[in-house]
Amino acid sequence: MVSEPLRELDHLDAEATGRIPLGPPDVRPMLAWVLPPLIALLLLAVAVEIWVRVAEVSIWVMPRPTTVVENFFTDFGLYFTEGLKTLGVSLGGLAIGTAAATLLAAGVAHSNILERAVLPIAIMVKVTPVVALIPLFIIWLGHGWNPKIAIAALIIYFPVLINAIAGFRDVDPRMHDFFRSVDASTWEIFRHLRLPAAIPYLFASLKISVTLSLIGAVVAELFLSGHGGLGAVIWIEQNNLRLEKVFAAVLMLTLIGVTLSTAVVLAERLFSWRLDQPVAAA
Amino acid sequence: MRLREARLTYQTKAGNPLEAVSPTTLTIRAGEFTALVGPSGCGKTSLLRMIGGLIPVSGGEVQVFGESPKEAQRHKRLGLVFQEPALLAWRSVEDNVRLGLQLNPKETHSSTDVHELIDIVGLTAFRRYRPAELSGGMQQRVALARALAIDPPLLLLDEPFAALDEITREQMRYEVQRLWGISHDPTDPPRSAIFVTHSVPEAVAVADRVLVMSPRPGRIIADIPITAPRPRRPEHEHSDRFVNDTAIVRAALRSPTTPAVPLDAA
Repeated sequence: MVSEPLRELDHLDAEATGRIPLGPPDVRPMLAWVLPPLIALLLLAVAVEIWVRVAEVSIWVMPRPTTVVENFFTDFGLYFTEGLKTLGVSLGGLAIGTAAATLLAAGVAHSNILERAVLPIAIMVKVTPVVALIPLFIIWLGHGWNPKIAIAALIIYFPVLINAIAGFRDVDPRMHDFFRSVDASTWEIFRHLRLPAAIPYLFASLKISVTLSLIGAVVAELFLSGHGGLGAVIWIEQNNLRLEKVFAAVLMLTLIGVTLSTAVVLAERLFSWRLDQPVAAA
Repeated sequence: MRLREARLTYQTKAGNPLEAVSPTTLTIRAGEFTALVGPSGCGKTSLLRMIGGLIPVSGGEVQVFGESPKEAQRHKRLGLVFQEPALLAWRSVEDNVRLGLQLNPKETHSSTDVHELIDIVGLTAFRRYRPAELSGGMQQRVALARALAIDPPLLLLDEPFAALDEITREQMRYEVQRLWGISHDPTDPPRSAIFVTHSVPEAVAVADRVLVMSPRPGRIIADIPITAPRPRRPEHEHSDRFVNDTAIVRAALRSPTTPAVPLDAA
């Protein structure tokens, strides 16, 4: 069902379509997942701290982790406010990019001509580092939110498009036959067959695109450093050689990334749970 | 249901036409339960799909109640069941059964009580379950109920029990006869069924008439009436009459068939 150029994303499909029942989360295994990386991270920070202190590394090369954490909390208001701006750009790009890509995918899934017309362009966009377009977007869209959101939207466009096309087409041919056998309309086939079949694929692409949209937002903010966001903070403080502030801003970005990814995983878990568990017996 | 010189020819990759179903003329009466048996690849599924309007005929004509298969689809006169249940994983049993009523709603004339139908297939306790939580046999019952929900005058069954274990399979061949006999509107003509299978006992157990197909090109080589009275019970399979009938069908299957002949310019 999926045409050849899409094969490279096959590794996503198993994850997306694996209809393994996911029960309500149990806390103990979650601790088993969360604790080891936390301990590893802590050990790493301790190691860096010791290295910086013992080797007397310059503050302009590597700040002490304790200084970074201290600054993160003293200037928390700044990182939080700027973080919200970055989050806004990221979510705006995510919403616009996902909506636009899903709409086009719905068209492509129904039309081979549209597929032949659109996919080569989509692949061209994919192999082009879209952040290279930021200067152009600034010329076209001004210096406000618009160019940043546009970059975040464009950077997620391709993965969402490819996954959505695969999802809309991953339809059991016998199910499709049943719909045809009662003369269901194209809209009915889309609404009741293709769209629900694509939901797991959309979640798979969302997992990739939350982090991608954050990358797009930050890179755009580096360019537009007069207009806020954590990217701008990083750019300005790097010029001021305040590396502890650079690291603190990166820490905030990491927290935003973790929050977004976790939200998607939880939403998917909720969805999968609804998919595979019985609705409360009547 | 009438086929007149209906045939199906594929274009192979090498560019040679391959005759999947050679011109077939056939009439199936209302209320008749017909089984179509033959080895794999003999074109029996293709023939069924031609009747169901899922593949267009390459020549000749198919009529279902005086209409083309496409019109029969439009008027919801066809109840399809496939080898795989092909249920919607995200819908409950109940909502799967309802699907045919929900689609193409302006042609929904039957006032089927979905709960009653689920009760008839014995799944009342499971009507809010998802397909993945049911056994293969239960899923296939849901598929049968879904096909019957639109109260179709013609049931098209494409090896519906081939993927089931032998024990379930032997139960289902009586289950399908019971369901075939249930019609919502008593003023309707009795329901017909075409049942594709590669199991001779299954065909003889369910059918009023067994059509035997041979491959390459797919064609009907025997038309055997099965006159055992209804309702039939599993014990029927131990009777001399049943053994006799299966022997006749098996003999027809073994009869020399014409070898594969390329379809030339002829």
